[in-house]
Amino acid sequence: MNELFDKVKKNLIWKSVFRRDYRNTVRDRALAIFGNVFLHLHPVKVRESAVKLRYTWGMGGITFFAFIILTITGIVLMFYYHPTVNLAYEDMKDLEFQVPYGVISRNLHRWAAHFMVIVVMIHMFRVFMTGSYKAPRQFNWGIGVILLVLTFLLSFTGYLLPWDQLGFWAITVGTNMGAATPLLGYQGPFSEYLHITPYNDVRFALLGGATVAGNALLRSYIWHCIAIPVIALILMVVHFWRVRKDGGISRPQSN
Amino acid sequence: MENENNKKASLRGYIFAILSVVLLGLSAWVIWDDEFGLRPWKNYQQEYKSLKRDKLEKEYQQALIDFKTSGDAKKLADLEQQLKQAQDNFKKKEVHERYLQVTARLNDLKRKVDENQKAMQMVRGQYLEVEYYFTKGQKPADKVRMDALQKQIDSIDKASKAFQAQLAPLQQEQLTLMGDIPAIEAQIEALKKPLAEKKERIANNESAPIEIRQRMINDANKADRCESCHAGIEDTRQVTTKHPYSKHPLSFVYLGNHDPSKFGCTFCHRGQGRATTTIEKAHGNVHYWEEPLLKGGMTQTSCLNCHGDIKNLRGAEHINQSTELIRKYGCYSCHKIPGYEGMGDVGPELTRVGTKVNYSWAVNWLKDPKKYSSTARMPKFFFTQEQAESVADYLFSMSGTTRHDVDYMSETPDEKLVEQGKVLWSQARCNLCHVTSGRGGNHVKMYAPELSKVGGKVNKTWLFNWIKNPNEYYPGTRMPQFTFTDQEIKGLVEYMVSEFTDDEAEMNYTTPQPINAASIKKGKDIIQQYGCYGCHKIEGMEMVQVAPSLKAQGVTFLKNDEMREKIGTELTSIGSKPVEMLDFGKMKKNITNDRMSYLKQKLRDPRSFRLGLRMPNFRLSEKEVNELAGVLYGFTDANVPTRFLVPSKAEIDKMANVAPYQFTGDFAKVVKTVKCTNCHSIKGIGADYAPDLTFAGSKLQESWMRGFLANPDVIRPLLQQMPNLGLKSASVKTKITMPRFNLNKQIVQDTNKSDVDVVVNYFQQELLSPDIPKTIPVVSDIGMEQQLAAGKQLYEQKGCIVCHQIGADGGAIGPNLSNVGNRLNPGFIFVHLENPRKFKPDIVEPRYGFTERERILLTNYLMTLKLTNSDANKK
Repeated sequence: MNELFDKVKKNLIWKSVFRRDYRNTVRDRALAIFGNVFLHLHPVKVRESAVKLRYTWGMGGITFFAFIILTITGIVLMFYYHPTVNLAYEDMKDLEFQVPYGVISRNLHRWAAHFMVIVVMIHMFRVFMTGSYKAPRQFNWGIGVILLVLTFLLSFTGYLLPWDQLGFWAITVGTNMGAATPLLGYQGPFSEYLHITPYNDVRFALLGGATVAGNALLRSYIWHCIAIPVIALILMVVHFWRVRKDGGISRPQSN
Repeated sequence: MENENNKKASLRGYIFAILSVVLLGLSAWVIWDDEFGLRPWKNYQQEYKSLKRDKLEKEYQQALIDFKTSGDAKKLADLEQQLKQAQDNFKKKEVHERYLQVTARLNDLKRKVDENQKAMQMVRGQYLEVEYYFTKGQKPADKVRMDALQKQIDSIDKASKAFQAQLAPLQQEQLTLMGDIPAIEAQIEALKKPLAEKKERIANNESAPIEIRQRMINDANKADRCESCHAGIEDTRQVTTKHPYSKHPLSFVYLGNHDPSKFGCTFCHRGQGRATTTIEKAHGNVHYWEEPLLKGGMTQTSCLNCHGDIKNLRGAEHINQSTELIRKYGCYSCHKIPGYEGMGDVGPELTRVGTKVNYSWAVNWLKDPKKYSSTARMPKFFFTQEQAESVADYLFSMSGTTRHDVDYMSETPDEKLVEQGKVLWSQARCNLCHVTSGRGGNHVKMYAPELSKVGGKVNKTWLFNWIKNPNEYYPGTRMPQFTFTDQEIKGLVEYMVSEFTDDEAEMNYTTPQPINAASIKKGKDIIQQYGCYGCHKIEGMEMVQVAPSLKAQGVTFLKNDEMREKIGTELTSIGSKPVEMLDFGKMKKNITNDRMSYLKQKLRDPRSFRLGLRMPNFRLSEKEVNELAGVLYGFTDANVPTRFLVPSKAEIDKMANVAPYQFTGDFAKVVKTVKCTNCHSIKGIGADYAPDLTFAGSKLQESWMRGFLANPDVIRPLLQQMPNLGLKSASVKTKITMPRFNLNKQIVQDTNKSDVDVVVNYFQQELLSPDIPKTIPVVSDIGMEQQLAAGKQLYEQKGCIVCHQIGADGGAIGPNLSNVGNRLNPGFIFVHLENPRKFKPDIVEPRYGFTERERILLTNYLMTLKLTNSDANKK
């Protein structure tokens, strides 16, 4: 048995991947964190009080978990989806009726999306209640607020993609609200000073046209699947990094 | 502390373990559900497969038994015996050795031929290469090489030919050596073939994969997966009648003309073609699917999507019948409906109605038309007494009359006149169109008014003038002008007024009363509000018929129909109108919220949805409601690919810039007064009540036409008689002292032709078919008498007598043939017998597949069937 272990472990391939033996020493544990591209964002050492569930609720981590699920299921869905007016709704129907594991993929995506929105708000609530936005964490609070907005935007842009009545009217209403923005929307106050018309205002920018049509669907798709996730991912990296740099995860004040 | 930590750890372990098991279970369930739970069609296909297997097995077993009992088995045994003998023969030493020799030599030769061929390819390739260099460089060396190669090619070719020449005799010898073996084997094969085919079918059924079966229609973006469960729908032979496995009903019409691979299912049946998980979803009977499945006859509503003309369309009988209702009730008068533009008014002209009817009658009619006549087509507008009086006041004032009634009940009629009128009434066959006391009215699609109580409705003066010349009072009327004398008309009027009385008629204004101006104004408002001018021509309503958009441009006169503003909702795409755009109003909780229920409720009780609706109640029967809703459901703006569209003849003519056919000359005048097209269809114009006269000139004999037009007789049973219109033939013209002065005056003066002359001339010049020969071929090998006998024998053999009548014998489905020799041209009979559907696609007469000789014999026989004058008189 040991021989077999030696054979598997004592060769170049194994070593090139794992680099070192995992010996349960402080140094090795620290090195394992350092040496991993994913884990090195995480502090090497965490205080015992920081893992207290009753204090942090683990909401930030759970939000990230939901994001990972959404990324995976989202990629699966993208294989079966065409962002065109003719095909988008038909693709929903195909996912429901014909694609292997289509129903579970789409439903997981939907559940995880709802879950993420709820959880991210609870996370914010916890941060606020524990006063974790205070110095030195003001910057990270700001990042967090942007991430919250991005989460909502992800939710909003994803709403149109099934191209059903619900999404269509939701986007119609949502973008009409944009049209009433001061200065930037053609119906908003002061917009006339900027020579804003229905064809150059913020609503036009969101829809790629003056009505909810094929261009709006394509824009929603690009924002939802590429642009916003990339921005959010970058900001998340910064967010996690700052948690570490600002003195680790917030924890009860030591007596 | 240590202990507590351990405890916590073990608790976490338990929770973790339980959750792991749950997750594992869930994953297993997801896999199972995706494989089976969400794919119930697998079971359907399995079951269909086993049903089909049973049937095929049964057929195979039956075929096996038949094979044994029919003597085929014995034949097979004999053949096998022969085969064995032949094989024994073949196995004899000298034969067999010779065969092996020949075969070896053949193989050797074939190999050599192959080698030659390869060598040839090689050399040819080289030759082409050298040729290329030579044409490019013109070097003599290349030319020399080319010649050398050409020689090589020639020699190989020669060798090849030599080998080929040796092949043929060897092959021949090989065959001779084998003797009868190949022939016997072929016979055995042929004998076994039917059984083998049956067996193959079983094998094919077994190997058919269980899979999603879908019809993709790419240009319409459809994927119809219906056949995943309806596995036998495209079968030409019924496997089982059990749902969902039966084959498509009348599939040779529906699927035969609409290849499922090009049309799919949901174009006609609607439903949710992509759905496969439950029956409700697939059939579209779910909340968020607006197009539920159409079943049975209702599916025919989809014919309207593509077919411009469904009149003689096979398989569209239901919907064709239903569209008649739109014509009957004149839906197009108030609603814009494509294909029904310029149909003319559905109701009579009311410009001079005050001179026609009693005021009290008019008021009661306006309140409830069905109360006067149960067959009335006019809907109920729910007018109050006051409103009805206002409307009547407006109409009467426009006719220049006062409120007045004329009561004939108290007068004693002139008995002599009545007697004359009664005779004329039945001679003229008024009952053909008009119903009186529940009798008559066979020509249903005429919608002629019921006359049972006409005595309480109109006055004699008007009735006299109307019968004398209906076109004068109402130029668009369908009532023909009969050529009665004034005396005859007087009798008819007297008879009608005294016979068809209305005991319940109110007579409130036997002493006329003036009309008050305020009431007239109010009546005008009501007429404008409810759009009475949609169905009736009404004086003073021309202005409101101009579309508002044009009015805004200052147009105030009516130019033609296009400017008319329809008062009701446009119905062009009512069958695909989104459900959320239908206003269910008060009925939201009372009926199911789908399009079909809305349409039915609207037709049943148009004003039930909310206050202020204007559509009147037509009091349709439930059958009519269903039929009409079915038609409306077919008016869609479905995105039908243009390749599906079948334009109507009128549309094609319009596209090709062909003017629609029009009657010309004197005949047009005759048609206008006599209204031939009320019953007959001529070149696509007119109704299908009486025979199509498009080829009448080729079909009918002149003398018969003249006699018939002057005095129509019964040809066809089923009470489809032609009315005696009083057309004058040349022979009787002299007897009639009173010529028609109104429209026909010119005819008489200028051309000195009678109506009959005009009609017959027109038939013979215009209504001809190039397919109908003037004469028929002659059979010369037997004498005429034998021919006639043979024809008669054929007539009896083929069972013509079942439908046709000669003398007193025979059925009453087809025309009576007793006088056919005088009536039809032989050419027509001859062509008609070849294919009865040629001139009339919906005819019942089957196609017997007569040979030309048989047709000649039959025609000759039929042409001898003539009634003499004395026969006719006896009748």
